[in-house]
Amino acid sequence: MIELKNLTKKYDEFTAVDNLTLTIETGGFFGLLGPNGAGKSTTIGMLSTLYLPTKGEILIDGERLTRKNTALKRKISVVTQEYSMRQDMTIEEIMEYQGRLYFVPKKVIKEKSQELLEFCGLINYRRRTVRKLSGGMKRKLMVCRALLTEPDILLLDEPTAGMDALARRQMWNLLKKLNRNNLTILLTTHYMEEAEILCDRVGLMYGGKLEEVDTPKAMIDRLGAYAVDQVTEEEMRSCFFPRKEDAIRFLSGLSGDAGLRSTTLEDVFLEKVGKHLANQ
Amino acid sequence: MGILTVLWEKWAEFKRDFYKITLAAMIAPLMYILVFGMGIQTISHGQSYLNFLIPGVVALTTMNGSFNAIAQNLNVQRLYEKAFDQVMISPTPLWQFIVGQIIGGSLRGIYAGCIIILLILPIGTNLCFNGWTFLIMFLNGAVFSTLGVVVSFYAKSHTDVPRFSNYVIMPMAYLCNTFFSSDSMPGGLREVIQYLPLSQASSMIRSIANREIFSYTGMLVLAGYLIILAGIAFCFLYKKKNL
Repeated sequence: MIELKNLTKKYDEFTAVDNLTLTIETGGFFGLLGPNGAGKSTTIGMLSTLYLPTKGEILIDGERLTRKNTALKRKISVVTQEYSMRQDMTIEEIMEYQGRLYFVPKKVIKEKSQELLEFCGLINYRRRTVRKLSGGMKRKLMVCRALLTEPDILLLDEPTAGMDALARRQMWNLLKKLNRNNLTILLTTHYMEEAEILCDRVGLMYGGKLEEVDTPKAMIDRLGAYAVDQVTEEEMRSCFFPRKEDAIRFLSGLSGDAGLRSTTLEDVFLEKVGKHLANQ
Repeated sequence: MGILTVLWEKWAEFKRDFYKITLAAMIAPLMYILVFGMGIQTISHGQSYLNFLIPGVVALTTMNGSFNAIAQNLNVQRLYEKAFDQVMISPTPLWQFIVGQIIGGSLRGIYAGCIIILLILPIGTNLCFNGWTFLIMFLNGAVFSTLGVVVSFYAKSHTDVPRFSNYVIMPMAYLCNTFFSSDSMPGGLREVIQYLPLSQASSMIRSIANREIFSYTGMLVLAGYLIILAGIAFCFLYKKKNL
């Protein structure tokens, strides 16, 4: 279980994460959503001990996470937003280095690397240096590397950015499978569809604050499960309705381009962020 | 265990860039020996200048080899490639990572120094290099690897490491008992320079090369630098709020 208690991170006067309190149960798949600069990556940074909190603490299974707590760090793997890999190393070397950093036995490194690289379609490029890989391949390699250590907790900071649709779908399937095997996952993503499909709970962050935590379905239901999109020359506007009949009635009164559809998590996100922007 | 991981990484890097590393280690020191030692033939301190020069060049090559093996590499890993993040995230104890870097850097320094010793063998200088020489080379390399770690940690951009090399490492290479004895420096400056690590290493390697008794104080001075710089590196990794 991951517990974030009153977690705050300040850079001089700027508060990147503000008093964040959150619990993620073991085996949970939690999505942290928010616009750029909301504090998602800083939160991941604190969970991976790259940044030390200004205030508050992080508990993993009741134990305080610090840079010195190597036993806890052993349980965590991170896929960072940036390609955090040596450019001059080959795929094979990247995997071996990761295994060694996590004290994985050499035999296991070899077997697990083979299995993961095969799954991600990187096995034929294993002697290619990172410098020569495409963005999507680097992203896949980072996921392979994170899974090599068989973590209990997986932190994913926009893991599918730059992947093509097929690779992204494969990754979703893999993450779902891993989560079913009790892997706790914390995901940040800009793809709302990804969060809606994968996460059992999501949290919306804005300005460093966690504004709402719930299941994607509950959030969607709160907004209204049915959406009517109205397209004008200036903009596209959506209205939300809890009942389909109400949505149809509204739609029939509209002229021009309009349509009925199910509300998505993206609508929830846009509504929330839109409100904040309007308030500013 | 973590130390071995870092050494494995250094070994992989060494294998990959073997020719580049070897050539880079050879060129400048070889030029010094050819130009100052063999081209301009003089007598210094009662002996052939070449014999005076070689121990100094061995010490400075060790320094450059060690510092360059760590500083620029780690700086790129931290600021550009972000590969250092994975080390921070991993359960490898950070002190083991630093010790691995220090040992790896020292070995690279010894390698560079050994190349020079091998290259001057055919000249027949009658200089002596023994186990103590290698111990001093290791210690000297350890000091400058640790300095490389510290510089790479505190560097704010890619240009900071070359800048530090220009302002600190290069003047040290010329002034610290390498090309001429620091005894001939003006008072005040002489005392400062004499207690710099490269001056100590040059002096000890030269004494051994000339089959003279060397002062163990030099080892203590080098050990002192090593402890202080390692302390700074440990503090950075464990206490720094944002890496």
